Amino acid sequence: MPQLDTSPWLISILSMMFTLYLLMPIKISKILINNDINCYPSEITKSTNPWNNKWTKIYLPHSLPLH
Amino acid sequence: MNENLFTSFSTPTLMGLPIIIMIIAFPALLYPTSNRLISNRIRTLQQYLINLILKQMMAIHSPKGRTWSLMLMSLIIFIASTNLLGLLPHTFTPTTQLSINLGLAIPLWAGAVILGFRYKFKTSVSHFLPQGTPILLIPMLIIIETISLFIQPMALAVRLTANITAGHLLMHLIGAATLALFSISTSTALITFIILLLLTMLEFAVALIQAYVFTLLVSLYLHDNT
Repeated sequence: MPQLDTSPWLISILSMMFTLYLLMPIKISKILINNDINCYPSEITKSTNPWNNKWTKIYLPHSLPLH
Repeated sequence: MNENLFTSFSTPTLMGLPIIIMIIAFPALLYPTSNRLISNRIRTLQQYLINLILKQMMAIHSPKGRTWSLMLMSLIIFIASTNLLGLLPHTFTPTTQLSINLGLAIPLWAGAVILGFRYKFKTSVSHFLPQGTPILLIPMLIIIETISLFIQPMALAVRLTANITAGHLLMHLIGAATLALFSISTSTALITFIILLLLTMLEFAVALIQAYVFTLLVSLYLHDNT
């Protein structure tokens, strides 16, 4: 029965420990479980666009007469 | 015939390289993460399912038991995805290996028992003697309870191994039988129907994961709270 061959046991157990204690908890801990929208950390809504720092005339909507 | 049947359970190596590392780590790839509040359907579905399982699993625990939530969620997701991926043809299922299941069962059971003995020593020791036993039966009952405690990790590991291995073996056998009977067309309809039924029943390998984590859970609960 090939399951009783103990030569690959070490690498099997080590790779399982690596997956179960490192990879899977990283994936699962990044899930947002909080159901209260006001409790979320504000870094999520922070945008990384460099062109939004300063309001310029370019951002006026199309309907305004500046066009 | 015997050698042919069991070769699918030998640890896969590719020209001497152990690719089992990649096979075990592969299910972690199927759960993408993102920092966004709302992402695509797959992430939303996984978030919903994991949230559901978390609430179901951790509802009965005290706050001290709930510190194990990440561990138990990781455990159930790992075993569930590994078993489900193993239902695809020609795949290798890591949970058929006794090594991996022992490595799953023994540390987690030992952690629960040690936690119980450390924080609630009297309660944990009192589990060895149920209430209301006759005085003459006490020595024998303590021996029996000790044996039943130490057999818990072995039972966890062997249960998972045996169930998944038996299911895979049966699928191999019945598939081979169907192929052999294909020339005789009267029995093939019946055999393929049995394969379909068996595959459906094997999908309830996921129920086995439920059983695994529940058993572990009950042990943790018992040693932690009562």
